[in-house]
Formats: sequence, C-alpha cells, structure tokens
Amino acid sequence: MQNIKESNFSEITMQAIFFLSALISVLAVLAICLFLFMRGIPAIAEIGAIDFIFNEKWGPTNTPASYGILSMIVGSIYVTAGAIVIGVPIGLLCAIFLVEFCPSSVYKIVKPAVNLLAGIPSIIYGFFGMEAIVPFVRENMGGNGYSIMSASIILGIMILPTVISISESSIRAVPESYAEGSYGLGATKEETVFKVVVPAAKSGILTSIILGIGRAIGETMAVVMVAGNSVMPLDKIKILKPIRTLTTNIVTEMSYASGLHESALISTGVVLFVFIIILNASLSSIKSKAQRN
Amino acid sequence: MDRTLDNLKQRKIKSQIFKSFVWFCGILTVGILVYILLFILLKGVPKINMEFLFGEYNSETLSAFSSIITTVQMIVLSLLISVPIGVFCAIYLAEYSKRGNKPVKVIRLAIDTLAGIPSIVYGLFGMIFFVNILGFRASVLSGVCTISIMILPVIISSSEEAIKSVPDTYREGSLGLGATRLRTVFRIVLPTAMPGILAGIILAIGRIVGETAALIFTSGTNVLKYPSLDLFASQRTLAIHMYMLASEGLPHSRDMAFATGAILILVVFFINYSTTKLAGRIGRMQND
Amino acid sequence: MKNSKIIFIIALVLMLLIVFAGCTQESPRNSNEQPEVFDFNKDITVVARDAASGTRGAFHEIMNIIVKENDTEVDKLVVGALEFDGTDKVITAVEGDKYGIGYISLGSVSDRIKALAVNGAEPSVENVKSGAYSVSRPFLLVTKGTESDLVKDFLKFTKSTQGQKITNDMNFIGAADLPEEYTASGMSGTLKVAGSTSVAPLMEKLQEAYQELNPDVVFETQAQGSSQGIKAAIDSSYDIGMSSRELKEEEESQLNRYILAIDGIAVIVNNENPKSDLASENITNIYTGEITKWSEVK
Repeated sequence: MQNIKESNFSEITMQAIFFLSALISVLAVLAICLFLFMRGIPAIAEIGAIDFIFNEKWGPTNTPASYGILSMIVGSIYVTAGAIVIGVPIGLLCAIFLVEFCPSSVYKIVKPAVNLLAGIPSIIYGFFGMEAIVPFVRENMGGNGYSIMSASIILGIMILPTVISISESSIRAVPESYAEGSYGLGATKEETVFKVVVPAAKSGILTSIILGIGRAIGETMAVVMVAGNSVMPLDKIKILKPIRTLTTNIVTEMSYASGLHESALISTGVVLFVFIIILNASLSSIKSKAQRN
Repeated sequence: MDRTLDNLKQRKIKSQIFKSFVWFCGILTVGILVYILLFILLKGVPKINMEFLFGEYNSETLSAFSSIITTVQMIVLSLLISVPIGVFCAIYLAEYSKRGNKPVKVIRLAIDTLAGIPSIVYGLFGMIFFVNILGFRASVLSGVCTISIMILPVIISSSEEAIKSVPDTYREGSLGLGATRLRTVFRIVLPTAMPGILAGIILAIGRIVGETAALIFTSGTNVLKYPSLDLFASQRTLAIHMYMLASEGLPHSRDMAFATGAILILVVFFINYSTTKLAGRIGRMQND
Repeated sequence: MKNSKIIFIIALVLMLLIVFAGCTQESPRNSNEQPEVFDFNKDITVVARDAASGTRGAFHEIMNIIVKENDTEVDKLVVGALEFDGTDKVITAVEGDKYGIGYISLGSVSDRIKALAVNGAEPSVENVKSGAYSVSRPFLLVTKGTESDLVKDFLKFTKSTQGQKITNDMNFIGAADLPEEYTASGMSGTLKVAGSTSVAPLMEKLQEAYQELNPDVVFETQAQGSSQGIKAAIDSSYDIGMSSRELKEEEESQLNRYILAIDGIAVIVNNENPKSDLASENITNIYTGEITKWSEVK
C-alpha cells in the first residue's frame, strides 16, 4: 500500500514537472515578446509608427535625428528575393535529382553534402562571401563587390539545404500511382517528374520556400560581411550597389547606440519578429490546407 | 504519322535537357560545398600552429585557445539547462498529453515560434533581459542563458520524435509487468530513445558552435589572455573570434581568420559524422 | 536511344563548362598582371568609417562633410559610400580597390596604402605638431566619477616617460607636458577599456607595457568605435573609454577627460593612384558626392 501511495505521489509530481517543462517554452516566447515590445513599442510611438516604417531617412546621429527604416525593409526584401531566385531553382532541381534521378551510389555523396551545407556556420558563409564572392562580383559584374548581388548569392547558397531537404521529403511522399498513371499515358520519365510528380508536391515545396525566406530574412552575419552596409535612399538602390538590411542595421549600430537610437534598433528587431510570426502563420495555414485535402 | 514522330523527338530532346539540368544542379550543390570547404581549409589549415591553439592571446598569436574553452563552456552549460527541460517537455508531449487539446496546441505553437526566431532577435532579447534587466552584464552567463532558450526547440523536436518512435509494444510490455507510467518512461522509453535524443543534442551543439549574432551582445567580443572559466567575464566564442579576426582587416588577422574557419569546419565535420552514425544506429534499431 | 544520351551529356557538359569558366575567371588577389593603367574616368570608391567612429566624427567636421545650419547638423556623406567599422577594414578596402579613397589614423598608415598631402602639407608627425597638416584630433581617455586606484595608476602610466615613449614611437604625439618616470605599483585587478579603433593599437601597446610592470593586472578591451567607448564609460559598464574625437557637450558634463595623444588623420588612396596631393576642397567634394570621378579632381 505504502509503495503504491509513494509511486502515485512521485507519478503525479513528475507529471507536473513534465508539464511545467513544456510550459517553459510558452514562457520563453511570452518573455521574448514582452521584453522586445516593452523596449521597442515606446520608441516606435515616440518616432511615430508611420514615420518609422515609411521614412527612408535613417540618420540617428544627425540633428535632428531621423529613424526611418524603409530603406532597410526594402533592402531585406531585395536580398531575400535574390536569395529565392538563386536558391529555389537550384534547390528544387537538386531535390528532384535526389529523389528521381540519382543512383544510390551518388546519393551517398550528395545527401551528406547537403547535410554538411546545413551545418556550416553563417560566419563561414560570410567570410567565404567576403573573400570569394565579393571579388568575383567586383571583377565580373562591376561595382565594388559589396552589393545586393553578393548578398543574394551567399543567401541563396545558405537556403539550399532547407529547400532541398524539405522538397525532397515532399516529392518522395507523392504516391507512386501518380507517376505510374503518367507512364501509362506514354510520358517520358522527365515529363512525368516535371508535370505530374513535382506539382503534386506543391505544398511541401511551398513550405520549403517559406522556410527559406524565413532563414534569409533573419540572417545577419553572412550579409554584414558582403553587403557593404550603406543606407541607400530608395531611388538609388541598385543590384550592384551596397545595401543595408534590417538585420545588419541592428548589428552595425547596436554597440554604440544609446537612448532613442538603441530603442529604435530594438524596434527594428520587433519588426523582424512580427514578420517571422506572420511567416509562421502562413506556414501553418498552408499545412492545414494541405491536410484538409 | 510524321508529326507524331517529330513531336516525340522534340519531347525526347526536351526531356534530356531537363535531365541535364537536374543532374547539373545535383553536381552544382556538391561543387559549391566542396569549393567552400576547400577554400577555407586550404588557406586555413597551414596557418594552424600550437601557439594559435594553445598559446596566450596577444596581437601576434591571435590565439583561439580561450575562445575554444569559452565555446566548450557554453556548450556544456547550455546543454545542462536545456536538455533536461527539453527532454521533459518532449516526454510530456509524447507520453502524457492528449492529442489536440488546448495546452498542447499552445505549447506546440510556442515551440515552432521559438524555432523560427532569427538569432539576432535572440541576441536583442538576451541583451535586454539578461544583460540589462537581470544585471548579468555582458558575460558568459548571459550568453549561456540566451543560447539555452535558442536550442530548446531543437532538443524538444528531436527528443519527441525519438520518443514517439519507440514501439508501443515496449511500453505495453512494461505496463503489463506492473510498472508505473513513470517507471516505464525512465527505464524503458528513454533509454530506447537515447540515440535520437543524442542526435538532437549533437545538432544543438552544432548550432551553438556556429552562433554569432546571438552572442555578440550577450557574451560579448572580449578576449582574455588566458582561458578562464569565469562565468561573469565577457568572453568570445570561437565563431565570434573568427568574426573579429575577419573584421580587423590586417593580413595576419585575415590568415588567422582562415585558420579559425578551418577549425570550425573540422568541428562541423565531426558533428555531422556523429549524427550520421547515430542516425544509422536508430535506423538499425527500428528494423529489429 | 543513343542520340538522347548524347544530348543529355552535351547539355550537362556545357553547363559545367560555363560554371567552371566563370569560377576560374577570378583574378588572384594580388595579381601582378594588371596592365590596366589608372583610368581617371572610373568612379571613385568612397570609403568612410561607421557612425560610431570618432575618426569619422572628427574628419567629417574638419572637412565640412557635416553641414551645420542653425540648430541642425546633417552628415552629407555621399550615398553609397562604403562604411566600415574599423581602421584596418578601411585600409583593406582601399588597398584592394584602385579607385578608392579613405581616411584613417595617421599612426596606422603603412605601405599597404598611400597617404596624401593635404593642401600641400605632407602627413607627418612634425607637420601635425606644427599645425601645417591641419587634419588632426585628440585621442581622449574618459572615465566617470571617482576613479579606482587602478584606473588612476594606469592613467599615470600613460603620462609617464615610458608611456610617452611608446606613444611617440607609434607616430602619435604624446600630450603630457612634463612626463615623469613611472615605477611599478604592483597593483592587481581588472581594467575594462572600450572605444575607438584608432586609439586601440596604442592602448594595446600601453597595456602590454603596463602588464610587464604589473603582471597581476588583467585588461578587458572592446574596440567598437569612439561613441561605444563614451557610452560604455557613461553607463559605467567599462572603466575607461577611448575616443578619437572631441566630446559633445552632454558627454563632457558627465565624464572626466584626459588627452592621451594628438593624432593626425591621413587621407589614403591605393598605391596605384598617381595623385599625391589633394586640396581639402576636393576632399570635401569627393565625400559629399559633388565629384564622382578622379578626372574631376583639379
């Protein structure tokens, strides 16, 4: 009797401990939201929300100081778009390769290669970008190398593993019957893959793209070493010219910013955070749509 | 008849071209990896010397010794915090919760959110909360706290998956013998799920080793002459050491940045290799 | 069947060749095979320091890149100028770009780049001292409130004959009027120093020398720009702040200020740039974007 009572007690306590551990994640998210907003929202209020988001003039050291992050928002968008343009086609085709065309001996080489790419730290990508990509762009495309182009190339490479792995799983998950039906109609293997199998994996591929966008938009270190970090007025933004993104703005100025300047940078972080939440939400809705079908 | 044959030829040509694109991308991806690795390793490995690995830090050696020790310290401490919490959370999700009820949905949402937050935002939060509000100042402690939260989703996901893949028969057998739920979890399920949990831990280690943005404002960029385990001192990790060297612009710093990069890559190699080995073990076990 | 395989192989090889050609087109970093003569019609690559930099603050003020009107102060640095957060990064950028121009601490000039004369005056320590080379600024050390004995001792060291010798050997102008010999105090503890990347090399040498005399002292240094050092001193997260620009009014009222040295700011260009002298008006126009090509410099 005593034993059962004791084990009941420990059973219940441990269950509570497990539940509390699970709640810690929720606590963490709430804390992050709370403290970011607590420092960031007042700053946005003081600067004026419209002014903060839509003003392209970022000049915290001027008198009077201006805190518009529009140029950085556009910078982040361009750089991410560039990453998608470079990374998604290559990644998707590579995923197709892995599932449909790759002999198993080659698979043993390519798949670990993709996993290795996923594990490389962003500082290595950034350093590689600075030492190899920037000179490459400077000598073959023009400008001084520190540019949207260089950032897009590096980010494109960085999102490859994400796009490849998730697309690969979704393409593999397409039932054989789809392909068999296509062959039955006389299509070649390539036609089958391109017109039947891949489209069937649409939602998984879309998921991989959205995750890639999330990765690219949040990347700091790799971008800060190749993008030049100049704040460009909107009409002067060019693909071979330097750019500053939301993330590089924070890391470049945080060390010496104080007062409203520092809070404005935290607000930049808030904007990033909100954007990621929106991205996550769209991801969930895609997933639930796919499940309903 | 002719037209159909022409059509067929055209389709065949298009197919072959598509096939070449696909192969090209496969080769390209591997090529990019190899290029990056060779680029860093070829210029970096020759520069690694004993002074750089184990010497004191000064403007000539640019030694990575204290950064390496700090990185190890950070890994150990963060894991000490996150692994228990993460595994317990995974146990809750996999063993004790009923599917789809409110708390579970909220918890999962929280975990997914944490997984998607960019590291710079973690760095900002760590700066606001640990460095300023809690008063830890820029220190290894602030870094450890921030990193622990950051790797939580990784530990939880892989542990949950590992626990879920333990066959129910194991559990049923244990319960059938009269063991309590708790006992079953700790004596049967967890040990069986160990390789998967370990894989998650190794993944988390990989993330910690490569982290820079979250640590710049929490544990800082300072480097001490000799390695120190002082939790309250601001110390840089290996990845930040590489960033600082790369930023200095001096030829010697640039060389040693390559060397640091080489060390980082070798660490990542090792981590990847261990994960693959473990994954193999799990696969074999599941086939029993 | 064979035909289709051939097409596949041809297409694949073609693509691989294109990529291969593209990669190997990269010229090696320090290529000696650059027969290109300096093309005056190329755009000038304007390199500046980041907004935290005291060097930038000082340079932009001296060169009237910062425009002051009534109560407003606007930095009119040309859009698209590269901004780097360290002296060495500026050197690296100008070293690697034939058409670059930058500004750095005079004490950091090396033969990786070329320092120009400004308005006819060569950038030398003598000319800075005499005032002939007008582009200069003070290196300041700032502390807040009452200083610890350790801070006071270290500051004493920087003003001593040993400290001054180190300063002057590095091509800075020591600011102490009557330096005295410093004797080791045997103190211990940690000194946290933060701030200017221009002052940092001098600070490092001073720290090393001080540590030889007082081996129980440990230094913690972070160099992320003058503004960072000033901020760190004001919020007491660091003991000593290094600045390479003058303090603003609000800053001065909160801090103790010591002049460590006087340093010139050198205007640097790539070694292949034929120019050796620039009028300050031209410098202003280059940095504000009025002049964009080397051919426009008179």
